[in-house]
Amino acid sequence: MPSVVRWTIVLLLLAGVVVLGLVTDDQRILTIAIQVFMLSALASSWNILGGFAGQISLGHAVFFGLGALVTREMWLGGTSLVLSVTVAVVSTALVSAILGVPLLRFRGIYFAIGTLAVGVAVFLTIGNIRPGISSLPVDALREYTFTGPYYFTLAVLVVTVVVSIWLKQSRLGLGMMAVRDDEEAAGATGVGPLQHKLSAFVISAALAALAGASFAYFSVSYYPNFPFSVVWTFEAITVVFIGGLGTIAGPLVGSAFFVILRDTLPSGIQELQVVLFGVLFILVVLLLPGGLVEGGQRLLAALSRKGPAPPAQQRETAEKEEGKRL
Amino acid sequence: MRKRTLLVLLAVLAMILAACGSGDEGGDTTTTADSGSEETTTTADSGGEETTTTADGGAGGEAPESIKIGAVVPITGPFAGGGAQVERGYRYAVEAINEAGGVFVEEYGVALPLELDLRDDASDPNQTTSIMEELGGEDIVAYLGGFGSPVHAAGTAIAERNQIAYLGVATALQALHEQGYQYYFSPFPKSPDIAISVFELLDTIPEDIRPSRVGIFQETTDWGEELGALWEDAAQQFGYEVVLRETYAPGSTDFTDIILQAQAQDVEILLSLPTPPDGFAIYQQMGELGWKAPFNLVVRAADVPTWNDLGEAGEGVLLSAGWHPALGFPGIEEMNQRHIDEEGRPADPVVGGSYSLVQILAAAIESAGTLDHQAVRDAIAATDMMTVAGPITFREDGTSPITNPLMQRIGGGVELVWPAEAATQELVYPSP
Repeated sequence: MPSVVRWTIVLLLLAGVVVLGLVTDDQRILTIAIQVFMLSALASSWNILGGFAGQISLGHAVFFGLGALVTREMWLGGTSLVLSVTVAVVSTALVSAILGVPLLRFRGIYFAIGTLAVGVAVFLTIGNIRPGISSLPVDALREYTFTGPYYFTLAVLVVTVVVSIWLKQSRLGLGMMAVRDDEEAAGATGVGPLQHKLSAFVISAALAALAGASFAYFSVSYYPNFPFSVVWTFEAITVVFIGGLGTIAGPLVGSAFFVILRDTLPSGIQELQVVLFGVLFILVVLLLPGGLVEGGQRLLAALSRKGPAPPAQQRETAEKEEGKRL
Repeated sequence: MRKRTLLVLLAVLAMILAACGSGDEGGDTTTTADSGSEETTTTADSGGEETTTTADGGAGGEAPESIKIGAVVPITGPFAGGGAQVERGYRYAVEAINEAGGVFVEEYGVALPLELDLRDDASDPNQTTSIMEELGGEDIVAYLGGFGSPVHAAGTAIAERNQIAYLGVATALQALHEQGYQYYFSPFPKSPDIAISVFELLDTIPEDIRPSRVGIFQETTDWGEELGALWEDAAQQFGYEVVLRETYAPGSTDFTDIILQAQAQDVEILLSLPTPPDGFAIYQQMGELGWKAPFNLVVRAADVPTWNDLGEAGEGVLLSAGWHPALGFPGIEEMNQRHIDEEGRPADPVVGGSYSLVQILAAAIESAGTLDHQAVRDAIAATDMMTVAGPITFREDGTSPITNPLMQRIGGGVELVWPAEAATQELVYPSP
């Protein structure tokens, strides 16, 4: 597809969601849309660390929570939203840099366990030091509309996607992927593994904080430790794998699929949603390693009968060729 | 590859729009007004299934088939034991009102049945808010709350924003009434009432055996902080000595440390407000450690029927759940009999309060003569009526001047020990 057509479709889609916020005030539609945008942004931020740099963090909610906490505290304290969000993102990036240096010295499963431990510790600590609910003041409640949070969350998603696209094509992003594919080889060719992993960790955390800020701005009432819950991390990971790990569209597709399915499940099945998504996650990992994006590509290829081979097949072919060369 | 990615994205976005536009069919358990079966609306006067139409020229246009009430209740999770009682109270009241002909709405000139749309929030305050958001878009006349301060604290802000009245029991958090909310009403004893009444009861114990050393196990929640401080103040006011005030995080599994501290401090009056799982763990571990204070108040956890499973460790514990069938208010007898028929025991402590909320709402709708949210809210605020929970009026802040009965688990049952004039049994002290 020519680049002009591709960008036209993207802009039309973007225009569609922009107009949606203007033409409807249906609470349910806007709530679902906001949830999709927010989870997409969070998942895209995790995808930078997990998909691009290959570091499976189970403590990503710490940064989402920090973004929410700082934004909410400052904003409800009277600071402007823009300044609150800026401070939240910058301070979270600093915290992530401090945490990242020791954590990224672990590899693989040890890194995952280390981040999980940090996540649980922070969640419990915030629950203990901030036990009271955070609700908007009465005046703000009476004036509340969904329009502001809708566009704010959409803007956060756009920023996250733009950063992801830029990163994927940049020297920094290519370095991250080199580290992901073979850390020793990357190091031997002058690509510093720790620097690149740390960069991914910090960028990912800053974007997660931005998503957290949108949560703080959108939510009427919640307990301050809720955004630190590991549930956010697992939802982000689930949608990235369901959508397509390491791709730009994967987190968006996965989030839309996840939120819509979750919110439209019949009442009898809704209680089983964790089981349902767990099974779905396993099936996707086993049968569709490239996620729904790859599934869609396979389907389109099958329909057109003349498209390029799907990524899995491409990888297989490339591996065979590489094996021959070796 | 990018072309296809975009196509998939387009398809998914189309799905979003399609799903958004399809309305809401999921996530709820709609029980009927009078039969308990699903998705059936029954008219008030005949009991037969038919569409209710405006009678003799009601001015408000076509009447709805029923008056829809949105209830968010923890049917699963840590508060499930309490949530089951709340659900029973709502269901009994809705069915009783519908059997008596429904609620007359002047705007339509006809009596309409109540329809309870009850959904499970899994004891998670964050699910409470999202479910209430959904219900807010579904033409409900009012919200009914669940069990436990966290879920109420989360839900009331949503009700306020949606400007739909919210009625709740099984929440004692006074701070919630100090937010300036106009749509939240709770005819239930609040922390200041609970803090005082326990010392009033203690003062009835003969002086020569009366305990004086108070220990507080305080969970790290907003309600824990509030009630812990009030207990400490009240103890001082009544001349008792607080020798221990320890905090713990809800969901903790090991309470050995604070139990041993209480033992070391020779605590005689142990006050706590745990969630049911925490309460069970605390008293089970006390049993294992072979220590229990002579006087134990477990405000929340002990109101769950399965408390009896603790055996001796849970025996003699006092609870403060806001209601007891022995209070003798009109309507209790019928409700209690139904509970006995269904559950094989007298009505559980939270059933009465929950039942009263539906009575209050039905009366308010009738008084308002319309299903308009603001009119119903104003009518609730002006409530002055007798319910199974006693006479109810509301203060400006949505609280209600209501008796705070204290009960004691004795021989597997729940006996009313305070106020003395309604007591079914004298306080057993020291605790067995």
